[in-house]
Amino acid sequence: MNVQQVPDIIFSTIAKNSFQALAPAWFEIKTNSEEILNVGGEWQHYFLEQPVAGQDVSQACEMLIGMLPMTENFELPQMQLLEHCYTDIFAIHDTNSDWLLFCDVTEKTNQLQTYQQTSNDLILIKDRLSRTLNRYVGQEVSERVNKGELKFDAAGERREISTLFVDIRGFTPFNECNDAQVVMQTLNAYMNCMLDSIMGNAGMVDKIIGDGVMAVFGVLPSQNHYTHDAFSAAQQIQTAVAQLNEQRLQAGLDILGVGVGIATGEAVLGILGTHERRAFTAIGRHVNLAARLESNARKGEILMDEATYIALEKPHALIAVTLALKDIGETQAYALLSNS
Amino acid sequence: MIQKKICILGAAGVGKTSLTARFVFSKFSDKYLSTMGVKIDRKQVEASGQVVNMMLWDIHGEEYKKIPTSYLRGASGIVTVIDGTRPNTVNVAHKILQRVNEELGTLPNIFLINKSDLEDDWNISDAMIQTLRDSGAPVYLTSAKSGDNVESSFLQLAEMLLNP
Ligand SMILES: Nc1nc2c(ncn2[C@@H]2O[C@H](COP(=O)(O)OP(=O)(O)OP(=O)(O)O)[C@@H](O)[C@H]2O)c(=O)[nH]1
Ligand SMILES: [Mg+2]
Repeated sequence: MNVQQVPDIIFSTIAKNSFQALAPAWFEIKTNSEEILNVGGEWQHYFLEQPVAGQDVSQACEMLIGMLPMTENFELPQMQLLEHCYTDIFAIHDTNSDWLLFCDVTEKTNQLQTYQQTSNDLILIKDRLSRTLNRYVGQEVSERVNKGELKFDAAGERREISTLFVDIRGFTPFNECNDAQVVMQTLNAYMNCMLDSIMGNAGMVDKIIGDGVMAVFGVLPSQNHYTHDAFSAAQQIQTAVAQLNEQRLQAGLDILGVGVGIATGEAVLGILGTHERRAFTAIGRHVNLAARLESNARKGEILMDEATYIALEKPHALIAVTLALKDIGETQAYALLSNS
Repeated sequence: MIQKKICILGAAGVGKTSLTARFVFSKFSDKYLSTMGVKIDRKQVEASGQVVNMMLWDIHGEEYKKIPTSYLRGASGIVTVIDGTRPNTVNVAHKILQRVNEELGTLPNIFLINKSDLEDDWNISDAMIQTLRDSGAPVYLTSAKSGDNVESSFLQLAEMLLNP
């Protein structure tokens, strides 16, 4: 919009209102110097002592040391000049003199603070939750080593396994519009669906990553073929999530979906660390593939690679798809979309 | 008296405000109040036999919103803070420094890997520390909570600024 097209009466009303809210103050400064030529506006809003002409800017406002003389325009948003007050500072480079404009943005900044606080709190809480879960995963590994269920030499052992990744879709936007406690409860509910299904099918949780889980099959003893275990776990995850969502819908809660990726192949297995802090690792080409497939899976979908599909003896319900995977390229995959 | 402006940068919640409060006021709080914009604190120290007034710019974390490089005008040094329990904050630190270097050139920097009191949750590998050291900047493990290494690392930065 062109300011000139705005009727004078409208313009002056807007100007008057925002003028009052912003409580502007300004210094006119001699070009190529730090010397204040004039002081105007509501300086009391920003300084304890009145800045005066003839003073250097850095004397009037210590924090501006090193910022002048001006060579270009710049902005310093949300500066806490006085305690609990936020000021946007505009440095304006003009032909005859330079200007510093101070505007009070305390109210707006306080509102934004609430949003930022919620969002940052969540980041810390989520990290803490996944650390707690991972520590539990680590203890589990230690226990299994002690019971003799996991035997690897330190150098690592090669073995054929299936790897499963699962992740909650759209959790980050969900985070941002809910309070920390709600998010924690929600994350926990979905996490439980994933972990129960994995552990109920001889899967071993390798790690918790943000809103998701990596698990391996073919490492813990099982009656079934590890690829079948992985596929059963994936299907059970989707069923459990669908059931959870039904309950949540009835309770008037937000619902989320999960995507699953499975790949099968050789991996080098190892145990890192000692005592209570053991961590299991699986390294192999198919592990990355499983992660990529998972990030391509939609809500309610299970995506698997060809090796998994063949090991499962090509179930009829699966649909062949060709995917362009990041860092991997065009890949033949097979998809199962749950009907919920 | 010598004045030096120092900017404290890093991801949100890594402990920038806590480290500043520990260094300047010998205080610590478990409560988290996320910083908006910039808060400035000062502390006089002695380095290389001279009195230096350190002006510390405690800047908001690089999460919710990018750090404007205008904040760094006139800065003599940088403190880049990482949360020792969150490896992702190392990447954020690298990203910020890269942007600062591109726009302002390199400034003397120290890395503080903070929250060293949380031993059980420590999650930074030696390899990660080595990549930080490879940039040429000193790396310290600090705790704003216990005060471990906080004063000494800030003093080290003051020394670096006086003896470039
Ligand atoms: N245990 C422990 N907690 C710490 C330490 N330093 C900071 N914290 C906690 O971590 C949380 C965040 O600390 P802040 O100092 O506010 O972090 P910040 O980097 O200033 O955060 P933003 O201003 O949002 O970018 C608070 O709950 C602090 O109590 C530390 O050394 N040890
Ligand atoms: Mg802060």
